[in-house]
Amino acid sequence: MKFSGPSPIRGNLALKLIGRMIVWRIFPLLLGILVSTTILRAQQPAAAADKQTLQLLLQRIDQLEARVQQLEAAKQQTAPISLPSAPVQTSSPQVSETELQTDNAVTERMDAGKTLLRMRGFGDITLHGDSQRHDTTAFSLGQLNLFITSDISEKFKFLSEIIFEGGPDNIFGETRGENNSFGVDVERMVLQYSRSDYFKLAVGRYHTAIGYYNTAYHHSTWFQTTTGRPFLFQFEDRGGILPVHTVGASASGLIPSGHLGLHYVAEVGNGRASRSPITEEPVQNVVDDQNHKAFNLALFFRPDAVRGLQVGFSAYRDLLAPANLPRIGETIFAAHAVLVRSKFEWLNEALIVRHAPNGIPRVFNTPGFYTQVSKQFGSYRPYFRYQYVNASRTEPIFPDVGLRQGPSVGLRYDASETVALKLQYDYTALRGQPAVNALALQVGFTF
Amino acid sequence: MRRLAGLRFILVSAVFSIAALCSGFAPNARSLPEPQIASEQNLAVVVNLSNPVQNLSMPELRRIFLGGRSHWPNGRRITLVMIEPGQPERAVVLGEICQMHETDFNNHFLHGVFTGEVLVSPKTLATPVGIRKFVFNVPGAIGYLRVSDLDPSVRAIRIDERGPEDKGYRLHVPPRSSK
Repeated sequence: MKFSGPSPIRGNLALKLIGRMIVWRIFPLLLGILVSTTILRAQQPAAAADKQTLQLLLQRIDQLEARVQQLEAAKQQTAPISLPSAPVQTSSPQVSETELQTDNAVTERMDAGKTLLRMRGFGDITLHGDSQRHDTTAFSLGQLNLFITSDISEKFKFLSEIIFEGGPDNIFGETRGENNSFGVDVERMVLQYSRSDYFKLAVGRYHTAIGYYNTAYHHSTWFQTTTGRPFLFQFEDRGGILPVHTVGASASGLIPSGHLGLHYVAEVGNGRASRSPITEEPVQNVVDDQNHKAFNLALFFRPDAVRGLQVGFSAYRDLLAPANLPRIGETIFAAHAVLVRSKFEWLNEALIVRHAPNGIPRVFNTPGFYTQVSKQFGSYRPYFRYQYVNASRTEPIFPDVGLRQGPSVGLRYDASETVALKLQYDYTALRGQPAVNALALQVGFTF
Repeated sequence: MRRLAGLRFILVSAVFSIAALCSGFAPNARSLPEPQIASEQNLAVVVNLSNPVQNLSMPELRRIFLGGRSHWPNGRRITLVMIEPGQPERAVVLGEICQMHETDFNNHFLHGVFTGEVLVSPKTLATPVGIRKFVFNVPGAIGYLRVSDLDPSVRAIRIDERGPEDKGYRLHVPPRSSK
C-alpha cells in the first residue's frame, strides 16, 4: 500500500473551495454577527438611558405621591372636626403609614376619652433647724408640685403648676393659716400662643419676668442647686418682697439681633395686692383692687459667643393703694448676669425696689443682690451663695424685712438622675437682732 | 495575500465583536456610583421635603436641637426627633451639636419645658427607619440619619454650607457594628 500525497492541483482547488466558502458563506455570517453586535452595542446605551429615565420618573412619582399625602394630611389637621376620609389607594406602604399616623393623631386629639395632658411631679422633704427663738428642729414637707402641660394644638399650649403646700403663709410679716395644714395653690396657669420665635403670647397666672431666678426655677427645688430660693425671690406668701406672680398677659420673643440673641418680655397684669395689712392672697387672681395695671418690660441677651451666658435687665411699674396711706408708686429695676452650664453655674442678680408715696417727698429704696456659684464634681456639687437685702425701717409696704445679709454654703449630691440630696448651712445677719444660724438637709426629687 | 488579509480582517472583526458583546453584558458598569466610604459614615441632618430651609449654621442647628428655636421660617413648629439613647448617631448629635451629655440634655429639655421656653420635648424613636418616616410625615420635623439610610422621602440640609457628601463636613458617625 502506497501512500500518495495530494497533488498541487488538488491542493489549489481545495484552497479555492475553502476560500469561496469563507467568502460566500462564513463571511456573511461573521459580517452579520459584527453588524448585529454593533447594533446591539449601539442600542445598549439607549436602553440604559431609558432605564435611568424610568427610575427618575418612578422616583418623581413617589415624591409627588408623598407630597399629595402631605397636603392631605395638613388639610386634615387644620380641619376642625372631619369625618374619617376614605382611604386613598396607593401603592406605597410608606404613604399608607402616613395616613395611618395622621388619622391617629387627629382621632386622638378629638377623642374625649383620651387625655392630652402630660404630667411631671416635683417634691421635697427637709429636715431643718435654726438658732432663732421659738423655732424647732423639724421635718418639713415641702411643695408637692404637679406640673401639667398639654399641646392643645400646634400653636397653643397649656401649662400649669398645682402646688400642695403645708404651713402658714407669711405675707409682709403677717402670718395666717395653721402650722400643719395643707393648702392647694394654682401657682401657674398659662395658655400660651406661639406664633413664631419672635412673638409668643401667654395669658393667665405666670411668674413675673423680674430678673433671672424667678422664671428659671419656679416651684421646683429639684431644679435649684440650693435648698431654697434667695430671699429676694422668695414667694409672696413666704415673706417675699417682689411681685413674683402676675395674673395678666405676657408677650415674649426673640429680637432679630444675630449672634447677640436678644429677647424681650412685655407683661401687663393685676400686680400684687397692696392693701396693708394683707390677710388675703397677695396675688390678685380674680379681682384687682384697682383699675391701674402693673407693667413689666425685660430684655436679655444670650450671645452665641459665650455658651450659657445670659445678661439682662427689667423694669416693673405698679401703683399700690395700701389702706390708710396715699398711693404709692412702685418701681423695680433688676439686672442679672448669669453663666449656667451643666458643670458650672454663676448667678448674679441685683435689684432695687423703689416706693414713692404720692404727696410725700421721700422715696424708699430697697436694694438687694445675691451671688451664687457652684461647680459639679461627679455627682457632687458644692455651692456658695451670698445674699443681701436692705429695707428701711420705715418702708411703708414691707416694714418687717429690714437688713438681711449673709452667706450660705452647701453641697448637693445627685443620688440619681431624679433625686438630689442637699446639705446647706446659712448664716443670716439681721439689723437689730441676733444673727441666725440654720442648717438644712433636704431631699428634692422629680417623678 | 489578499485572502490572508481578508482572514485577518474577519478574525479581528470577530474578536472585536465578541469583545464588544461581552462588554455589553455589564451595561451599568459605568453608571454604578463610585465607592463613598467616607461620606457613608457621615450623619445627615434631615428635614421634611416641604421645609424650605437648605442650610443652617452650626450655632443655628445647636439652637434648634436645644429647643431655643421653635419655628421654621415658614411658620411651622419645629419638632425634633432623636434616636433612642445608646445609639452612635445620638452620641454624635449630643457631642457635636448640643455639646452635652445624655443626662444634661434630658435635664435641659425638662427644664426648658418647665420654664415654658421649650414648646415640645424631642420625640424619641428606636430606628433610623422610624426617624425617616417621622420626618417624612411631619412637616416641621428635623432629625438625623446616616447617609447610607437616606432616601428621597427626606431631605438632607447643608451645615455651614457643606452637605453630608462634601469634604469638611463635621458630623461623622462610627460605622455600624456587624451583628
